[in-house]
Amino acid sequence: MASFGWKRKIGEKVSKAAVQQFEAESEKVAEDAELEGVDWLHAIKRKREVLLEDCADKSKRLKDEGARLAEQGRHWEAVKKWDEAIQLSPEEAPLYEMKSQVLTILQEVFPAVQAAEMAVKLRPSWWEAWQTLGRAQLSLGEVELAVRSFQVAVHLHPIERPLWEEDLSWALRLQEQKRVAQQKAALEDETRQVVEEAPELQQDYEDFESDEVIAACTAIAERQKRFEDLKKTAVVVDARGVAMETVVGDDDRPASSSENALVKARAVVYIGGPPLPYITASVQTHLMQPPWTFSAKRSPDSPPAGWSR
Amino acid sequence: MSTQYSILFKQEHAHDDAIWTAAWGKSEKDGSETIITGSLDDMVKVWKWSDEKLELQWTLEGHQLGVVSVDISHNGSIAASSSLDAHIRLWDLESGKQIKSMDAGPVDAWTVAFSPDSKYIATGSHLGKVNIFGVESGKKEYSLDTRGKFILSIAYSPDGKYLASGAIDGIINIFDIATGKLLHTLEGHAMPIRSLTFSPDSQLLVTASDDGYIKIYDVQHANLAGTLSGHASWVLNVAFSPDNTHFVSSSSDKSVKVWEASTRACVNTFFDHQDQVWSVKYNSTGSKIISAGDDRAIHIYDCPM
Repeated sequence: MASFGWKRKIGEKVSKAAVQQFEAESEKVAEDAELEGVDWLHAIKRKREVLLEDCADKSKRLKDEGARLAEQGRHWEAVKKWDEAIQLSPEEAPLYEMKSQVLTILQEVFPAVQAAEMAVKLRPSWWEAWQTLGRAQLSLGEVELAVRSFQVAVHLHPIERPLWEEDLSWALRLQEQKRVAQQKAALEDETRQVVEEAPELQQDYEDFESDEVIAACTAIAERQKRFEDLKKTAVVVDARGVAMETVVGDDDRPASSSENALVKARAVVYIGGPPLPYITASVQTHLMQPPWTFSAKRSPDSPPAGWSR
Repeated sequence: MSTQYSILFKQEHAHDDAIWTAAWGKSEKDGSETIITGSLDDMVKVWKWSDEKLELQWTLEGHQLGVVSVDISHNGSIAASSSLDAHIRLWDLESGKQIKSMDAGPVDAWTVAFSPDSKYIATGSHLGKVNIFGVESGKKEYSLDTRGKFILSIAYSPDGKYLASGAIDGIINIFDIATGKLLHTLEGHAMPIRSLTFSPDSQLLVTASDDGYIKIYDVQHANLAGTLSGHASWVLNVAFSPDNTHFVSSSSDKSVKVWEASTRACVNTFFDHQDQVWSVKYNSTGSKIISAGDDRAIHIYDCPM
């Protein structure tokens, strides 16, 4: 009866697995006690030790089961196993690190970052946790944070070449592209502002046929043209950057993406309206979807090194 | 002169991110004391230490990635810094201007160390080569090959005879500088050696490793003279006091420990940092110690003389 009350009080925060584990243990100990006569002082002490030990054992078993499931591509099931393991041993950094890897594969980007953050918090000098965090941040689009995480990983473990050659350099390239894209967007914005709020339109003209008005129209048209030119170059430059990425190993991305973007840009310009956000957005999504450089390492057939850890 | 170890000064938020490296130099010209720090925020900062406080003198911009190592020439006029993007930069400390930028090639610059005559800068590379750059020429002059793994740490002996390197696999190599010959290879540690330092009399070599131990070697005979335990995690940096009597170590366990060289006993532990302590150095007289680390703070401690 006492155990029933205890269960209700603790409530949902304790996982079913942990409760069952505990109950099974307490029953066993109770049986033992009956056999040996009641030695409460030691019985209680031993119970706690036994429980702690078994939690660690069971956690490890769940961790390995999860790793096997992940290798078979059963990612959600793996996450469930690891969550159970985390309930039993919440200080185990590798559990969070592996969970983060799989959540990244599942495109659960935010939980993936949270899991990896937990891993680096628990074990700040473990470079693999920083690498996993960087990759999760990258899929969330947090390029700056990813660059930082990869740098910490490299500083801890500079001998790991893929860290340099794949993770850090890829993140740096994205950072550069993002910077260029943002610069272009800012420049376009500025030019558009001038086009929209042309000083020539501020004053009232009495004679619509006067030279004054014609000069103003020419000035506006000139500016409009410059704006369009600027927009075209922006798209071409960015698209070239993306096209460059296709070399890295992104085969399914159509090579004609630059042409597409250009056509889109032209269409929007002809239709009119403020086309900028649309264009920039399309460029951004191209940038933010990494060609999953890690897929080679992270595909189910060749699981990442972390799973055998 | 203080009679006991104590913390003298704290500069909180000295950088925008973790501080990975620090150096303490003294100008031959006017006797002023300069502290340099390098950080994950890509910046190198130059501080003046006067009237028992730090004053920011220059913020040196140029490195594209985190600054791994800094050193000051022995006359106190030039600083060298290296970053994760494998660039070594030389700075004029009087004007705060960059003198030279040397691209060591991918991953080919880690710890930088001025030679005792300050004409050269040595740095380790990932292929186990120690590259020696000329300060005047700004070019790679020659290299010493350990035939080993990535070299994390480098030190010149103050008498100018030896150069020691510590590798990521725990191997220590000692070169004769005059002949360029590899004198000794010591299987010192089983884990990365992130720092090593000679005693001022060039007789002892002290090494710090991720295995949590500090080892002391007799340089001439390449004998292990002692193994020191005390840190609960990686030992990240070691530095010898100029009077040959003590050395100081910093660790991932957030502590800074001062050791007596003769007894090999820890005589003081500072537990003032909030996070791992990447760098620790003595000033030119041995009266002060600087430490800096992941908590972005610079600490200055008083030492009994």
